[in-house]
Amino acid sequence: MSSEVQAAEGAPVGRSPGQLMWRRFRRDRTGVISACIVLFFFAIGLLAPVISWLYGKDPYTRYGQLEDGLLNEYGYPVKPNGGIDGEFWFGLEPGTGRDVLTELLYGIRTSLLIALAVTVLATLTAIVLGIAAGYLGGRWDYAISRLIDLLMAFPQQLFFVAFMPIIATLFIDPREETPTYVKVVSIVIVLWALGWMTLGRILRGATLALREREFIEAAKVSGASPWRIIRKELLPNVVSPMLVQATYMLPNFVTTAAALSFLGVGLTEPTPDWGRMFATAAEVYRSDITYMFFPGVSMVIFVVAFNLLGDSVRDAFDPKTVR
Amino acid sequence: MLRFILRRTLGAIAILLVISAVTFFLFYAIPRNPALLACGKGVCTQEQLAVVEHNLGIDKPVPQQYIEYMSGLFIGRDFPAGSCPAPCLGFSFRDNRPVLDTILDRLPTTVSLTVGGALVFLVLGLAFGMLAAARRGTLLDKTMSSTSLVLSSMQIYFLGPLALAVLVHNTQLLPQPQYVPISEDPWGWFQGLLLPWLVLSTIFTANYTRLSRATLIEQLQEDHVRTAKAKGMAPRTVFFRYAWRGSLIPIVTIFGIDIGSLFGGAMITEYTFSLHGLGRLAVESVTQSNLPMLMGVMLFAALMIVLFNIVIDACYALIDPRVRLD
Repeated sequence: MSSEVQAAEGAPVGRSPGQLMWRRFRRDRTGVISACIVLFFFAIGLLAPVISWLYGKDPYTRYGQLEDGLLNEYGYPVKPNGGIDGEFWFGLEPGTGRDVLTELLYGIRTSLLIALAVTVLATLTAIVLGIAAGYLGGRWDYAISRLIDLLMAFPQQLFFVAFMPIIATLFIDPREETPTYVKVVSIVIVLWALGWMTLGRILRGATLALREREFIEAAKVSGASPWRIIRKELLPNVVSPMLVQATYMLPNFVTTAAALSFLGVGLTEPTPDWGRMFATAAEVYRSDITYMFFPGVSMVIFVVAFNLLGDSVRDAFDPKTVR
Repeated sequence: MLRFILRRTLGAIAILLVISAVTFFLFYAIPRNPALLACGKGVCTQEQLAVVEHNLGIDKPVPQQYIEYMSGLFIGRDFPAGSCPAPCLGFSFRDNRPVLDTILDRLPTTVSLTVGGALVFLVLGLAFGMLAAARRGTLLDKTMSSTSLVLSSMQIYFLGPLALAVLVHNTQLLPQPQYVPISEDPWGWFQGLLLPWLVLSTIFTANYTRLSRATLIEQLQEDHVRTAKAKGMAPRTVFFRYAWRGSLIPIVTIFGIDIGSLFGGAMITEYTFSLHGLGRLAVESVTQSNLPMLMGVMLFAALMIVLFNIVIDACYALIDPRVRLD
């Protein structure tokens, strides 16, 4: 009896690389905690309308101007610490008197939506171009690699700032006010245009190395079409660098998009946006520093959690890395 | 060495040519009518539009405009509003002067900010990274690693106003940031830029600490380091002569990218502290739809990035004797 149990326990269990990665990741406490924090941010972004419905406020109503006694004659909250009380949990926005909590929730929602869209687009572009360069080689490889070199020599921040209004003219007449959806699309396009190269380069290198491996050759010999080889043999093998790079990319897009709004070329009033809150904060910090606290601290927590998550995902895929 | 410089310079010129063509095309061919963009939002009468169109020279086809622009770099150009001597990066109609003059006016601010900040973050970042790697796993390492993780996740648009509020407005420990030319008043120059340097370098120091710690730890596990230890070499010598030197290559690479893009305008820092450098010039040009100015700043920034790339490649040869420049 006991020998039987032992035999069952000792028997080798087949595990796919994905399962192995998941097991390693689950044991990494930092990774699990940061994953929870990241999920929390996505959850509150997703549920922003529900939360604000339960809480009974919205990010557009100017409560401070509708009700007396909330803002003083200079437009600053009457109560200390930015007007935090049982009614307005995170206080009021100076000047407009909007509710900071719902503004932040909807701001996170906007920022994450933009960053997620850019991450997906940039990853897809990197997959298509990186694998094309690595697998097709020759002229294709040369052209795509030179394109990557060129885009990398572009002054990034300047490019983002300079092309925002230009992209917008593709959709609307420059003499009119730019609608919000055009701004969102423009942000996504400029970040996407210069956001895919690092991953593209990584995938090109990985494909180049994989192309010479035996299993690819075996697939070729047995008559698999290039499309099948790419789909069934190559792609599963580049999932790990892709996931790792994507986890590093997303917070970067969040902070860059926020910087655009801070500089006044991204999203503008009255669209709630994480980055736009910093622009407001920079105007009012002398009299009301509390306003800056919530967007600032939440963004630091978000970026730290995402970076730690990226490290953990990398470690789970490649246990050899040292820290 | 000479061959290297020549070859890289030619490569740089090629890249700059392509960047200038792409940028020019994006600015002047993609918008349905760049003059409308330059004319501004709200009111723009037909007469105003015609004037702007004529000023920008966009009544001609785009390739011809580009050729005129590029030839202006070498022989200068004449505009209805004034002349623009070579090298002409364009002419700004908002303030009726050549773009290059404005760029050169703004350049000292950006250079002062970048050089001072880079000096601080490079020295501190390398030193902290070295300390953490040498004392790996100790309390010191853990404190430094977690501090640098949090600080490197900070944004200048958060840290900047925070530092201004705490250090300038509440405690008056530091004066209000401003730019005073170093030739006029060195002490005032130093005082005025102290806070921007501190804020800029805090975030970069944290990044460089993380980077140099990681590469050093990797280097310390290399075979040649183990061999040097095994043959009884003094730990200090192994650390500096073998591991540290090897860890410099990735750091120099990142440093080249960072400093090149900072020279092209430390946009957010300049904006936060109201310093009138190149970055702020770019933001102002966007809000005023000053296309010629933007085009000039873009090209100048690209030049800086490409230039520092060459400098960095030359530095590799100094650090790593295996790298040959030819």
